[in-house]
Formats: sequence, structure tokens, C-alpha cells
Amino acid sequence: MPRRSANPQQIKSGWEVGRMNKVNNPCLNYSTRLKTASVLVHKAIEAIKHKDIQKRNLIWLELTGCSGNIISLLNGANPDFKSLASQMVNFIYDNSLMAAEGEAAMEKLYSMTGRDYILAVEGAVSTKDNGLYNIIGRWKGHPVTAYEVIKEFGEQAAYVIAVGTCASDGGISAARPNPAGCIGIQDMLDRKVIKLPGCPCHPDWFMGTLAYVMLFGEPETDNRQRPLMFYSTLIHDICPRRPYFDQGIFASKLGEKTCMFKLGCRGPVTRVDCPIRKWNDRVNWPIGDNTPCIGCAMFGFPDLMEPFISYDTT
Amino acid sequence: MNDREIFINMINDNLNEMNGTIDCLYITTSICAKNKLLNRLRRNMSNINLMLQGLRNGESMSSPPSIAERLFTMQDLSRYNGRDGNPAYIAVNGVVYDVTSNAAWGGATHFGLSAGTDVTSQFASCHAGQPILSKLKVVGKLVE
Repeated sequence: MPRRSANPQQIKSGWEVGRMNKVNNPCLNYSTRLKTASVLVHKAIEAIKHKDIQKRNLIWLELTGCSGNIISLLNGANPDFKSLASQMVNFIYDNSLMAAEGEAAMEKLYSMTGRDYILAVEGAVSTKDNGLYNIIGRWKGHPVTAYEVIKEFGEQAAYVIAVGTCASDGGISAARPNPAGCIGIQDMLDRKVIKLPGCPCHPDWFMGTLAYVMLFGEPETDNRQRPLMFYSTLIHDICPRRPYFDQGIFASKLGEKTCMFKLGCRGPVTRVDCPIRKWNDRVNWPIGDNTPCIGCAMFGFPDLMEPFISYDTT
Repeated sequence: MNDREIFINMINDNLNEMNGTIDCLYITTSICAKNKLLNRLRRNMSNINLMLQGLRNGESMSSPPSIAERLFTMQDLSRYNGRDGNPAYIAVNGVVYDVTSNAAWGGATHFGLSAGTDVTSQFASCHAGQPILSKLKVVGKLVE
């Protein structure tokens, strides 16, 4: 594919027209997908109000990671976190958000033993030295490691949802040289884990999946256990800069508005719907802000997605 | 059945599936079902795009046979790393392929692999049974 020197401003495509017309985007692919999470959450809330289904208990464990996924969840907008916590689930445990602390917090966690709950987990599991490098709290005077808590609560949960790349596949916590021996939670559990990779996980991906689970049970997933409703399409196939790729017009440095394939963009190998959903109240996303996709929602991130930027590519 | 016929059959299969999906889209009212159907359409389009690329490559390969006979040593291959004006080549099972414009090789790298190398074992472990190589342009053969 030859490089061309055409003026990028001259190219008008359906994608760009759609992008400019954010409010009334005529493309079904955009408008329908944008509604997925909010429709599911509102359906779940309505079903709870009409007593068709019951509120479920939710435990959110933060293991070996940066807590970025719970912060991302708080940034959710339509559906937002308030709807989730007040109308959809009984939010039993999350060490960042709950009022209780110390043994009182752990008491809440262990009160769920033998009861019905859905388990959301962010962060990988540190396995080296029996998990000694990640202690999430103390229970009856003994330190509780991420290693033992995932074993205990993971096997008993009604559903297990891995939130973010670290919980899904090890992610940054398992990056070389992986000193704490981190692994994704699926490798710890003898059961199916629904994976929502992304660094961080988009609030819609979690809330939509949770609502789906409550309404209909396990969602349809791909061969990497990711829900197809969010993870079926390559970023490259729905990228607003795709026309530039097709015409061989490539950015040679950051800041240019054309396709960043030659800079090492991972959009062509990353399956997720960022271009549609966007971030920060649907305002922006990496490629829209002139940085290449770094494949944060793919297995092997970050090691297999490096280098994040390449210059002098032919 | 030759490669060309296989590609055409696969394109037809995808078109038939798309017809069925579009019919379903007309009648479904559930937004979740619509979402799934749209995903399926998008996947079909992506498949057809790949098949067309394969057909085009097949045509271009049959015209200049001399290019496919080019021989590369490992040292020759290492020069084609996709940097500083060199195209990006990889070798799989002794055949050298051009991935310079292949979308999955952004920045001449792919899942931790670099162009200019023999990726036979990695290909076998990740893409066995997938119709990927037939869509790539052959540029020569790898010799010891």
C-alpha cells in the first residue's frame, strides 16, 4: 500500500460525517451499540421494581492491580454508578468504597460465605510464596492473601466477572519480569470466568454485563470468554480513521490526524468497541486524541503489545 | 478445489449469512438482538474484506512468477525489518511473505514479534488452521 500525499482535509467519509454529527449519528452500528449498557441496566432495574428478579449481592475484590477499574466504574454515565449501587445490587464489599474498615470490613466479606453473590474481581493474583505479596486484609488476626480469597470466594460465586486486563489475563501486574508471579483469575479457578479486559474496563462493559447476567444469565462470549456484545469487533473495522488506512495515508508522528498504523497502532488486533463508546462521559478515546491504540484490552498486554510507538516504519 | 474457488465460496457463504441477518434485523425489536445481528454483519464484512484481499493476492502472485522464486538467507531476511525504507517480511514454513501493509503488523511488529524473522513456530501455535497465509503476498523462499 503506497503512502500518498493527498491532503487529509479533502477526504470526507461516512465515518467522519457520522463522527461530526455526534448527536444524531445515523449509523445503526453506532447508535444501537451506544444504548446497549443503558438499556440492559434500565431493564434490570425495572425488573427488580416489578419483582421479576431480585437484587443480587455484589462483592468487588481489588487484588494485585492499581484500583483503576473501580475508579473507572465511578466515572460511568448513563448508566451511572449510583443506579448500580442503589437500585440494581446490594454492594456488599469493596475496600475502596465501603464505610467499614479493618476487621469490620472483612466481616462483611465473610458474611457472604455460603450465600448467593456475584463476584467482580479487579487485579491479578500474586502467586509467589503462597501469595504473600498481596494481603488484602486481616480476618480473625490472620492476614488474608489475594491468593486464598479468590480461591474461597471464586469457586462459590454465582458468577465471576474479571474486570480489567490484570484480572482477565495478568496484564500489567504480570508484565515481565513479573516478580510477584501474577496470573489472571481464570488460571486460579476451576470454573468459567467472564472476562472484561481493558485498562481500565469501561463502566458500560461492566454494568451492561452485570445487568445481562442478572436478567438472562451468562452472556454469549468469544473463545477468550469476552462478551460478544462489547468485544466482537476490531477497533480497526470501526475506526474513524479507517478511510486513511484504506487509502494508504499514514501519520509519521504523533499529532497527525491520519491513520497511525505505521506508528504501531494496535487497533487492527484489538477487539473492543472504544471508538463507539469512548471514555470520560463519551468525550474522547486514544485514537481520537492522536495516540495509537496500545491494545490494552487484548491478552498479552502490555508485553506483547510493545512497542507502544514506532518511528521510521517503512 | 483451488484457492480461488474456496475464496469465492466463502464470500458467497458470507453474503448468504448477511442476507439472513438483514431479514432478521427488519423484524427484531430487541436492542440486544439488534446489537448481536449488527456484530454479525460487521464480522461478515470483515471476512469478505479478507477474502477479497486473498483473491487479489492470488492474482498478483500468478503474474510475476520470478518474484516468488527469490531466495532469502536468514541474514537477508533480517534486513527486511520494516524500518528505514525496508519492507517488512516474515518467513513461515520456509516461505517469505510481505507484511508491510498488513494491518495486524502495525509498526512492523505483531504480538511481540518483529518483521525480518522466521515466525514459523509462533504461527503454528497461534494461527494453525486459519486461512491467513493465503492472503499474504509471497516474495520468496527461505534457504539455509
